[in-house]
Amino acid sequence: MAEPQPPTIHEGATDDIETTTKPPASAEDRKAAAALSNLDSSSADNNDSAQVDKAAATNALNSVSEKKALVEVPAKSKVKVDAGDVALLVAELEVTKARATELLKQHDGDAVKTIRAFLQPAF
Amino acid sequence: MPQVLSTKEANLFRQVIRDYEEKRYRAGLKAAEQILKRNPKHGDTMSMKALIMNAQGKTEEAFNLAKEALKVDFKSHICWHVYGILYRTNKNFEEAIKAYKFALKLEPESQQIQRDLAILQVQTRDYEGYVQSRFAMLKARPQLRQNWTALAIAHHLEGNLQEAERILTTYEKSVSAVPAKTDFENSEALLYKNSIIAEQGETERALEHLEQECKKCLDRLAVMELRARYLAKLGRKEEAETAYRALIDRNPDHTDYYKRLVEVLDLTADDEAAQKAIFDEYSAKYPRSDAARRLPLDFLTGDEFRSAAKAYLTLMFNKGVPSTFANLKHLYSDSYKKETLPSLAEEYLQEVKNSNAEASSDSSKGEGAALFFLAQHYNYYMSRDLAKALEYVEKAIQLDPKSVDFQMTKARIYKHQGDIAKAAEAMDQARLLDTKDRYINTKAAKYQLRNNENEKALNTLGLFTRAETVGGPLADLIDMQAMWFLTEDGEAWQRRGNVALALKRYHTVFNIFDIWQEDQFDFHSFSLRKGQIRAYMDMIRWEDKLREHPFYFRAALDAVNLYLSMYDKPEGLNGANGNNANGDDAAEKKKAAKKAKKEAQKAEKEAAERAAKQNPNKAQKDKEEEVKKKDDDPNGVKLAETKDPLGDAMKFLEPLLQFSPKNIEGQIAGFEVYIRRKKYLLAAKCLKAAQVLDKDHPKVQELAATMQKTIGDVLESLPPKVQEVLKAEFA
Repeated sequence: MAEPQPPTIHEGATDDIETTTKPPASAEDRKAAAALSNLDSSSADNNDSAQVDKAAATNALNSVSEKKALVEVPAKSKVKVDAGDVALLVAELEVTKARATELLKQHDGDAVKTIRAFLQPAF
Repeated sequence: MPQVLSTKEANLFRQVIRDYEEKRYRAGLKAAEQILKRNPKHGDTMSMKALIMNAQGKTEEAFNLAKEALKVDFKSHICWHVYGILYRTNKNFEEAIKAYKFALKLEPESQQIQRDLAILQVQTRDYEGYVQSRFAMLKARPQLRQNWTALAIAHHLEGNLQEAERILTTYEKSVSAVPAKTDFENSEALLYKNSIIAEQGETERALEHLEQECKKCLDRLAVMELRARYLAKLGRKEEAETAYRALIDRNPDHTDYYKRLVEVLDLTADDEAAQKAIFDEYSAKYPRSDAARRLPLDFLTGDEFRSAAKAYLTLMFNKGVPSTFANLKHLYSDSYKKETLPSLAEEYLQEVKNSNAEASSDSSKGEGAALFFLAQHYNYYMSRDLAKALEYVEKAIQLDPKSVDFQMTKARIYKHQGDIAKAAEAMDQARLLDTKDRYINTKAAKYQLRNNENEKALNTLGLFTRAETVGGPLADLIDMQAMWFLTEDGEAWQRRGNVALALKRYHTVFNIFDIWQEDQFDFHSFSLRKGQIRAYMDMIRWEDKLREHPFYFRAALDAVNLYLSMYDKPEGLNGANGNNANGDDAAEKKKAAKKAKKEAQKAEKEAAERAAKQNPNKAQKDKEEEVKKKDDDPNGVKLAETKDPLGDAMKFLEPLLQFSPKNIEGQIAGFEVYIRRKKYLLAAKCLKAAQVLDKDHPKVQELAATMQKTIGDVLESLPPKVQEVLKAEFA
């Protein structure tokens, strides 16, 4: 089994101490503080850090390939999905919220159609 | 807020890290406490202390301390990194990724955090994230080839084949020096690129690339096989023929090459003579090749089959090949062949008798081999006649009472007669004929388990397990992941009414699959470092469908069905319940379970003592580790006390339905669980799948009736949209 990797240390621990003596003033600091307070809450509620990741993701994606980003935008359809339908699918089909939304979108937000398609054997 | 450490303490802090890396946990803790004495609120040190405690197995305390550390110093990437590591070692990958990402934001230059994050992303199949991480790593060190290859892999896994190929090509173009012929990494990368081209469906270009770039690749066989395949796919039959013939010359026993050769030769399926000619050519060229003789039996018919089979059987019997029957039973789906083969064996016996040759000294050859074949023939389910099977096996045993194979077949015949006790006994006799043979030892243990003799089976297996393992044979069998044993043992306990131990075994099998999944962790970096990309991709794809393995299916189905019976008969939850236990029975079974538990504990103690005697120093040292590894529920008592058997069953059921959807037993079990959990739509899904698989299955019709009735009872109480679906599906 993999042993956990030890953290990197650059020339002692002094580097970051300088920065941390300041009170949390920047936006980043507030995000860090927010994430900290969210530590024990369930992962679904952890919106702040999710947003941080998303911003980083878009940045990196753009630099990897701008072409790709262009292709993906229209792929996200504008189908409106009813929250009640999502909840119904989550409860009755035991899928994740994201998956339920995705399934509903595939069937123009029609819950009955979505469920009937879901019931069909995949072979 | 953290204080700046003095030089002395900063040195001490580095010492802590080194101690941790080299697993000197006690020394590390001591040094960490020394720092904390002066600087009680030093977050990094607290984190390191938490990490060491986690490694020592004190998970909860470690988490608390790491949280404390974050509170005093939430801008420290070390604290966040440690927090991520803690989550990772406790398999909460989602939280671990979040923590790593935070650490990385605070310290974007850290290679180590970036690498940890990347590995976790590919482990959790977050390909989008993996592409980003790999891109960042490539940007940081573009001079390393493995970083380029890794980014290509990331794109490949994400499904972006063009981009993967482009990345590889970009690197190739950037290198001016010609790689050495012995450069393994280069050779593998070229073949990897070739596989990406082929996967895009561009066979023509793949062939071109293969012939130009991969000529000197070190894996010559792969190059030859790929080339032959591409040529065949492109319809360049003559060249493909040459390619496949070259492959057969390399390995005249590879059945697939023959099949492909026949394909590219454009022979019509009914032209037996022409096909036979090819195989004859090779059996003359390579007299020792079995494939060239065996394969024609697949397609030949009538008299042609008869004469070819006769030649083959005669050869095999004369040589005394014990696997002859196993090698031919696939032909039994053809009723003519099923009739012909035993009659040929009889003929052979007659000839041996008539020739009156002096009896061979080796009983496995000649007459013995033919008798053995016939005994297996009449024991096989498609041609079963157990009386005759017994007759032949007795004759064979008469010829050689010391043959393990003959005795073993006898035990099998008893099993098919339904006399499991006698079968177990006979198998054990076979074992005694050769106590150094692990195969027969395993077989005997399995038959003992079928006869519900768990303790005896464990003793039998104990003859071959490592004697020094702490915890005795059982611990060794778990360590060695002997899943056949765990499953059979669990089923035997279940038959004996010991729900606790049965569940324990099934959960152990489940955990072994978890371990297999975790085992890939090391390979995300190791395979790259070694440059073995193709094998790595194979492994990743195998891991993705790991639980379709029949071993998983069997243990999981057992577990689901056991949980179902626990739900239906909750009075037996205290660990001793059979399918139809009345009061006396249950009490007796309870007693038996208790006794078995005691015996297991005793055996464990004895084994520990034995190990301690053998190596007193080692035992002392191991003790520390042992505390960490100790199973807090070795006999599954807690598992059996569950209040929610259906919920527990879900863990087993979900992979079952996901990875083996075409197995009707799984769908039936799924229906039974879902209908009890009142998840009517999911039950309907299982039912529909089962109906497609086998409409006439008696159980399926029963389920359909249950469904109809249940819908009738509860329909009104369901949400309107669910009602609508159920009405439409089952009107």
